Amino acid sequence: MSLPPVEPWVVLAFSAAIFFVGLFGLLVRRNLLIILMSIELMLNAVNLTYVTFSHQLSSMAGQMSVFFIITVAAAESAVGLGLVIALYRTLKTVDTDEITLLKD
Amino acid sequence: MSDEPLIATATTLNTIRPELLTMTFGQMAALSPWIWALGGALSMMLAAVLFKTWKWVVPALMIMATAGAAWSSTMLMDLGDQFLFNRMMLVDRFTLVFTVLFAISALVTTLSSMKYLDREGLQHPEYYILMLFSMIGMMNMVSALDLVVIFVALELMSISVYVLVGFRRADRRSNEAAVKYFVLGGAASAVFLYGSALLYGATGSINIQEILAAVEAGRAGGSLLFVLGAALVIFGFLFKVASFPFHMWMPDVYEGAPAPITGFMTTGIKAASFATFVRVMAGLGYGDGLAEAVQKHLHDILWISAALTMVIGNVIALTQVNLKRMLAYSSIAHTGYLLVGILVGPASDSGYGPIYLYLLAYTVMNLGAFAVLSALAKRGDSGINLHDMAGLSKRQPLMAFGMAVFLFSMAGIPPTAGFAAKYLLFYSAVQAGEIWITVIAVLCSAISVYYYLRVLVYMYMREPAEAGGSAGRSWMASAAVLAMIVLTLQIGVLPSRVIETAKSISKTAVPQIGQAGARAAR
Repeated sequence: MSLPPVEPWVVLAFSAAIFFVGLFGLLVRRNLLIILMSIELMLNAVNLTYVTFSHQLSSMAGQMSVFFIITVAAAESAVGLGLVIALYRTLKTVDTDEITLLKD
Repeated sequence: MSDEPLIATATTLNTIRPELLTMTFGQMAALSPWIWALGGALSMMLAAVLFKTWKWVVPALMIMATAGAAWSSTMLMDLGDQFLFNRMMLVDRFTLVFTVLFAISALVTTLSSMKYLDREGLQHPEYYILMLFSMIGMMNMVSALDLVVIFVALELMSISVYVLVGFRRADRRSNEAAVKYFVLGGAASAVFLYGSALLYGATGSINIQEILAAVEAGRAGGSLLFVLGAALVIFGFLFKVASFPFHMWMPDVYEGAPAPITGFMTTGIKAASFATFVRVMAGLGYGDGLAEAVQKHLHDILWISAALTMVIGNVIALTQVNLKRMLAYSSIAHTGYLLVGILVGPASDSGYGPIYLYLLAYTVMNLGAFAVLSALAKRGDSGINLHDMAGLSKRQPLMAFGMAVFLFSMAGIPPTAGFAAKYLLFYSAVQAGEIWITVIAVLCSAISVYYYLRVLVYMYMREPAEAGGSAGRSWMASAAVLAMIVLTLQIGVLPSRVIETAKSISKTAVPQIGQAGARAAR
C-alpha cells in the first residue's frame, strides 16, 4: 500500500504555519532560550519552503540554499547561546521582562 | 560568460562548462580587495596565537588589510563589470566605491579603538579579527547578485557584530544590547529569508538578475506570491537599516555597545544594508518593469516608512542627554533621509547616486563623532553625557573643534559634507516630483539643528563642571579625528569629484542579463 502524494500547497501552507508559530513565539514568549528556539523554527520553515519550491520547479538552487541556511543557522545559534550565557552570568536571569537596563 | 540559463538542471549537469572552472585575468583582479581583507583576517588569526606578547601586531595587520582593500578598490575603478562565481557576485563600480567606504569605516574604528580598549582592559585580538570579518561580510553583501549569497554575507556581517556589541563582557548593558540585537537581528534575517523563498517560488530563481528578467518579462510581477515575498524582503532590510516601524532596537543597541563599535555599526553596517537594499530594490524591478499596482504599493510602503522615520528620529533625539543615544536617534533620522533617496532613485536623473554621496558624507562625519566620543569616554563607557561636554573646548580643543565640524555637517550646514549630500538628495527628490516628502525632510532637518547645536553650546559656552578627570589622549584617535575633519570639509567645499563618482555608479545597480554580456565585452 502506498500513500497518496502530498500536494505542494499542503507543504507550503504547513511551512507558512510553522513560520508564523515561530514569529508568534518570538513576540510573546519571555524566556530567551525559547526565543532562540522560535528563531530556529522560523529558519526551518524557510528550509521547507525552499525544498518544496525546488521540487516544484525542478531546480537545484533551492536545495542548495537549504544547505547554506542550515550551516548559518548552526553558527547563529552557537553565538546566540554564548551571548545568553554571558548575559546570565551578569544578570542571573534569562527572562526578557527583567532585561530593562536600556530604555528611554 | 554566456547568457545561457544559469541554473543547472538535470539535463545541463551533464555538460561541462569550462568558463565555470577557470577565471579570467579581470576576474582575478576584481578579487584583489578580498585577497587583502581575507589574507589580513587569516594572518591576524595566526599572529594572535604566535605573538601573544606583542599586542600591536594584530592592529597593525588590521590597518594594513583595510588600507590595502581600500587602495586596491580605488585601483580597480576602471576595470568594468566582472561577474564572479557563476554570476553569484558582481564587482562593478558600485561594489568598489562601497568597499572603499567599508574599509574607511573599519580603519578609523581601529584607530579610535586602541586607546579605548586599553582603558577598558579589553585589548584582545579577537576584537579586530571580528571587525575585519564583519567588513568582509559587508563586501560580500554589496557585491552579491544572489539572495542566498546576500543572506550568508548578512549573517557573516551580523554575527561578528553581535559578539562585538557584547564585547564588554562584564558590563550588563553591553550584554543586554548584544542579546537584544541578536534576537531581533535573527528574526529579521528569518523574515528576509522567508521572503527570498517566496520570491524563488514566484520567479523560479534566487539570482537577482534572473528575478529582474522574470519580472520584466511579466512572468511574476503581479502574483500574490511575488508581492508577499518582495514585502518580506523589504521588511527585512527596513529592520537592518532601522527605519520605522523597526527602529526600536537601535537606540538600545547603540547605547550598550562599546563606543567605537557603535561608530562602526552606524557607518559600515548601515552603508552595507543600504547598498544591498538598493540592489535588491532594483532587482525586484522597482521603478522599472513592475506592474503599476505593485509599484505603487512598494512606493507607498517606502514613503510612509521614510516620513515616519525622519519625524520620529528627530523628535525623540531632542530629549536625549546621553550623546551615544542622541546620535542613535539622529542615525534613525538619517536613515529616513536615505530612504527618501531609495524612494525617488528611479525617477530622478541622478538615480541612486545621492544615496552614495549621503552615505559617504554620513560615514565620514559619524565616524569622526564616534572617534571623539571614544576618546572622551571614561572607563565603563561613562562620561559622554551632554553635561560632560561642558567646557570641552578648553580641555581638548581638537576634539571639541572636530565634534563641532561633525555636528554642523550632520545638521547640513555649509561648507560641510552633510550640506552637499543633503542638497543633492533633496534636489533629486524635487526632480522626481516628490514635493511633500521633501518638505517633511527639510522641516525635520531644521528640527535637528536644535539638538546638534545644543552640544556645541555646552562645548564652547559653558564652563567645565570639574577640573581634570579627562581621559588620556591618543595620537591615533587624534589622527583619525583630524583626517575625518579634513574629509568632511573637503567633500563639503569641493564635492564635484565625489558627485561625479556617485553619478557614474547610479544606473548600474543591477545590469540586465542582455546588457551584461555587452558591457563585459566592452
